[in-house]
Amino acid sequence: MATHILSSTARSGFGSRLHSVATCRLPLARSQLPHRISAIRVQSTTAQDTTAPEQYDVVIVGGGIAGSALACALASGKASSTQKIGLIEAFDLSSHAKWSPRPDQYSNRVSSLTPKSVAFLKKIGVWAELDPSRVAEMEGMQVWDGVSGARITFDAANATSTRSSFLHQVLSTSGLIGNPAADLEYRDSSFNDGSDIKSSPLAWMTENLHVQYGLQKQILGHQERGVKLDIFERTKVQGITVKQAYPTDADVSAPAGSTAADVSDWPVIELDNGKKLQARLLVGADGVNSPVRSFASIESLGWDYQQFGLVATLKVDHLTSTAPGNGVGIAWQRFLPTGPIALLPLNNGFASLVWSTTPKIAQDLKKLPASDFCVLVNAAFSASPAELEYLYKNIGPDGQPLVDFQQETEWRAGVQDMEAFRTAFGSSRTDAKPPKVIEVQENTRAPFPLRMRNSNSYVEDRVALVGDAAHTVHPLAGQGLNQGLADVECLARVIEQGLLSGSDIGNIHSLTPYSSERFLPNLAMLGTVDKLSKLYNTDLSPIVWARSLGLTAVDSMGPIKTEIMRFAMGLEDAPHSNRS
Amino acid sequence: MLSRTLAQSSTKPLFLAPRMTQCATLFSFRSPLQPPTERLYEGHVPISPFQRTLLAVGSAFAALHNPHRGDMIAALGESTGGIFLRRIRDQMLKDPEGRRILRERPKITSESMQLDKLRQLPDGIFGREYVRFLDDQQVSPDTREPVHFVDDEELAYVMQRYRETHDFYHTLTGLPVTVDAEIGLKWFEMVQTGLPMTVLSSFFGPLRLSSQERERLFNIYVPWALENGSNAKSLMSVRWEDWMERSVEEVQRELCVKPCPQV
Repeated sequence: MATHILSSTARSGFGSRLHSVATCRLPLARSQLPHRISAIRVQSTTAQDTTAPEQYDVVIVGGGIAGSALACALASGKASSTQKIGLIEAFDLSSHAKWSPRPDQYSNRVSSLTPKSVAFLKKIGVWAELDPSRVAEMEGMQVWDGVSGARITFDAANATSTRSSFLHQVLSTSGLIGNPAADLEYRDSSFNDGSDIKSSPLAWMTENLHVQYGLQKQILGHQERGVKLDIFERTKVQGITVKQAYPTDADVSAPAGSTAADVSDWPVIELDNGKKLQARLLVGADGVNSPVRSFASIESLGWDYQQFGLVATLKVDHLTSTAPGNGVGIAWQRFLPTGPIALLPLNNGFASLVWSTTPKIAQDLKKLPASDFCVLVNAAFSASPAELEYLYKNIGPDGQPLVDFQQETEWRAGVQDMEAFRTAFGSSRTDAKPPKVIEVQENTRAPFPLRMRNSNSYVEDRVALVGDAAHTVHPLAGQGLNQGLADVECLARVIEQGLLSGSDIGNIHSLTPYSSERFLPNLAMLGTVDKLSKLYNTDLSPIVWARSLGLTAVDSMGPIKTEIMRFAMGLEDAPHSNRS
Repeated sequence: MLSRTLAQSSTKPLFLAPRMTQCATLFSFRSPLQPPTERLYEGHVPISPFQRTLLAVGSAFAALHNPHRGDMIAALGESTGGIFLRRIRDQMLKDPEGRRILRERPKITSESMQLDKLRQLPDGIFGREYVRFLDDQQVSPDTREPVHFVDDEELAYVMQRYRETHDFYHTLTGLPVTVDAEIGLKWFEMVQTGLPMTVLSSFFGPLRLSSQERERLFNIYVPWALENGSNAKSLMSVRWEDWMERSVEEVQRELCVKPCPQV
């Protein structure tokens, strides 16, 4: 059922890839903001309040990327654009449309958008709004083990060398996942939307603010077109309640075929400006501590990693990289026992850092003088974990280094360092070196806690959760935002389909296809990333040995590597979503 | 690089099928019969993994047969050091004093230690007791076997340093050089360093002891070694050269080592 609409949209020229698994660099920016809802009241009261709430078909709480993207997607849908949509955000939204960054400055919150996410952003018209000079193409990836030096490299050719990957072909021909011919046809139609997948980069790096800018531009455009899309910005949700016995509002555009709606079970959202909204469908895009999720009594399970992520905007010297093309467009990630450190390419010699480490080290790194911080970042990509441990220990309580970092790291770099397991894994390879970091942009170092969460369900009657409200992932694979966008794409499609078939879009039965399509892929991604994080969070010899053997093996097995790449790029489908 | 070329030239004619070559590069980057590196330092003897295995097994038997074959014990230590030497080096890197040692790479010779000057020190001072030990044993710091079989220049130094500082352990712990006491000291070093050679000595050494010696070893030396080995500061990061003029008690206190009960 879920894909019935898919083929029809593909044929009718919407022509976008409507797959499901996806990718992102950081958790949504919104997830870091504390939530400002003082109390969530879940109660059934009789009509004590005098003001009748205004009725909406869809109310989205949270105007982060996921929430705004959903508003955009609904406003651009054929049937869903006729609906009355409300978007509530505690902060400023309209200012995003006036975003005008300096060319020599980058925001520290950057995401990698997978081909699948980009296809979705193209479909909802956002991609065209973006400034190409601030979108960097990621052409390759170098990922290695900081303890053993074992390494895996990816480039765009890995991911697209076979149109339909090896495993996919095997599964298709064995009848496990549908008709291979239909599958290929589907792929052809979905990829021919102007972007030839064969020359596609692995991902596109851009600032979250930049995506927000594109989303706002589109939202304003839709409003001008007359789409009933109301923005409530700088407005906090005071409480969400289910009330009974409100008079039916005749203005509500009920789906065709249904009689006057019974709104008694529609949630009412009270805003701090006194307004009340009543929603046929309430969407929680309100981050990791989602008040909407609390309202719906959906439990979220998971754990906090004893890690913080530190982000920063860096300036690098590409001439110091030994990678082909001076490492332009290459993402570098090294797994250290304290957590992975990643250097992600931006344009014009800029790069974005995401350094997962212990909470204490993250705080110390933030305080360190800029020049010493750069030395330490460079060391984190080259020095041994023992050496790094020594350097971390020598950051004073005031953030000043207690030893000369420059001197210490130069000495160690000079000593020929035969890395552990070198004899077994990689002595014969001259590993490419990342570019040296030469500067850190002022006030861009920011630590945030790392978590893993997954809601027990993404839907409840009249409630759906998307993005970080539904699930939160460790940033090491850059999947969080892409998962969120995949949720939004799917939910918008399910709503559109519900409207076309004349069902009540807030009804749990209409929403179930969304939950069943997104739950497993998200869980698989969360689990994979979580296991990876745990696997690399140790320097215990047998584990290091085994993981290094595994990584080296995968690196030399093309088809498996392709499979991993496609999974991470959102090109591989969950079996159920690519056929009807 | 050289070894890589050699490895390929030797494997390619053997495995002509491309898949086989891929497997070969996957699981071993070179033939086990090829030495991995060129000569890295003075005295370095590059050996192949196959030779290394032979050397380890051979030296182990020789050392067990005759515990006085210092060269065999040395060869056993070097051929099995591997990741354990790396671990010691990493431990030293995390310690300011250990780092200084790695940076300056001091050598312990009769000249660098100025033994004659140490002889002038009063009794009970670490340097004096150290020279007394050397004189009693009629050994000199210069008679240490150089390192041959460690394929990393810095790790070779770590091995050398480990060997050179062994005599200080006797002074520090008060252990004599009888076979049972030496094995007791090996237990101490095993807890401290985890070097496989110390483990082998700890477990196979006692096989050659008389029942009386064995009793002494397991009742006195081993319990002492286990306790003090784990309590003590990492002794590889001790710059012994700087401790010569302190009293033995003071050194013991600072390094958290209790003297071994005298028999």
